[in-house]
Amino acid sequence: MVKRPGAAPAVPAAPGFRTALARLFTIQAAFTYERMLGVGFAFAAEPLLRALRRGGPGGEGAFRAALARQSGFFNAHPYLAALAVGAVARAEADGAPPERIERLRAALVGPLGSLGDRLIWAGWLPACAAVALLMVAFGARAWAVVVFLALYNVVHVWLRVWGLRQGWRAGVGVAGALAAPGLQRSLELVAPVAAMLVGAALPALLGWYPFRVRWEVPVAAGAAVLFAAGVRLLQGRATGLVTAALALAVVVGVGVLW
Amino acid sequence: MTVASVLAVIGVGALAGLDLVSVPQAMIGRPLVAGFLGGAVVGGPLAGLATGAVLELFAFETLPVGASRYPDWGPAAAAAGALAALRGGVWDPAWMAGIMVVALLAAWLGGLGLMLVRRLNAAQIRSREPALGRGDAGALAALVFGGIARDFVRAGILTGVTFAVGERVARHVAAGWRAPRELADVAVLGTALGVALLSAWRLFGQGAARRFLAVGTVAGVALAAGLLAW
Repeated sequence: MVKRPGAAPAVPAAPGFRTALARLFTIQAAFTYERMLGVGFAFAAEPLLRALRRGGPGGEGAFRAALARQSGFFNAHPYLAALAVGAVARAEADGAPPERIERLRAALVGPLGSLGDRLIWAGWLPACAAVALLMVAFGARAWAVVVFLALYNVVHVWLRVWGLRQGWRAGVGVAGALAAPGLQRSLELVAPVAAMLVGAALPALLGWYPFRVRWEVPVAAGAAVLFAAGVRLLQGRATGLVTAALALAVVVGVGVLW
Repeated sequence: MTVASVLAVIGVGALAGLDLVSVPQAMIGRPLVAGFLGGAVVGGPLAGLATGAVLELFAFETLPVGASRYPDWGPAAAAAGALAALRGGVWDPAWMAGIMVVALLAAWLGGLGLMLVRRLNAAQIRSREPALGRGDAGALAALVFGGIARDFVRAGILTGVTFAVGERVARHVAAGWRAPRELADVAVLGTALGVALLSAWRLFGQGAARRFLAVGTVAGVALAAGLLAW
């Protein structure tokens, strides 16, 4: 095999990579307010840390010490936590000093949380939901669900795989992976795309909803704008969900007692 | 409605609830998906899909960000989708309004239940603190699988209760509704769209995204007009 000039040196695949990847899907299963993702983090990192037990300088003791360290407080976006799991496991495997590993973990909390929130929760998820709602409006039926799950999870699973791989490759130098041009470009693109799709999906549903008579369409649109303005005026004293539940309960009461 | 169907709805709701936080966060618990699946297991996938689409609008408000408290839409949407399907393909606005009230409350209660699960997780972790300090891999696995089991039970109970209460409420509301049914239609979609509008504004109402939101909205209005004309 001919190596391209300037190509990054090959990094041996992490032993236990697949098990660690599978465990990453449970990273929030033991979530608590004290340790946040800590326990899930250690559970996911454990297959990668087994190498310490087999051939590392400290053997079983080093493995256990590393595992104990990794079960402490950690918080990040659950998908991008893969990057931290890979990086920290690599640092442990490379024999980095414990204080340095602790600093690395702590330093990744903020950036991974912020990046994941902007990229996924406030971008990709609303974009995919909007695509699905547009498909519902156009009568796509079950395909709306299929496309939503496929579209969303291509990025979701790719982020976990990429994160774990990049983290393992980079070790303590993982910060560079966060500045990857592809990731930065995705961040720039996702909000405008999501905004446009969400903007299109919401009014389009007025054309889909099975109203009984035509005049209901503008009345429902007006009710939506008034309701949104009303919830905004509450300034966080009640969520839209609670306000909507109360409003609908009142309507139901009126409808029955009419 | 057979016992097997009820158990299937509870199973779907439990898996949808598990998806939100515990495993695998693949958005099976989004209202659109859970509503569709809830309807499908009782033979009415499209009624479930329509209910899920309306609930999806409410769900735009909350992003499952870390330690914040957020509603659990999966069990609520699975039960609501199944309840909509029970109407046999007939879109009854009063029935739908009854379902929505119960589903919204269930989603909110789901968030509270999630906090309880987190407290139980914390108690389990405290009891295994020495093992964690020793780097015991078995203790880690027990904590993770214990957390999954607790969350599964929580979501299953929530789905079952939502389904049972929702069925009674929807039946009572549909039978006793005396106002024009259009009132229920306008209230359901008006509140759902209102919540989604406000959420869209909060997410994209600043900076460059605002222009794209405006362009999308104009396109959406045109699409709605086209759909209505068609």
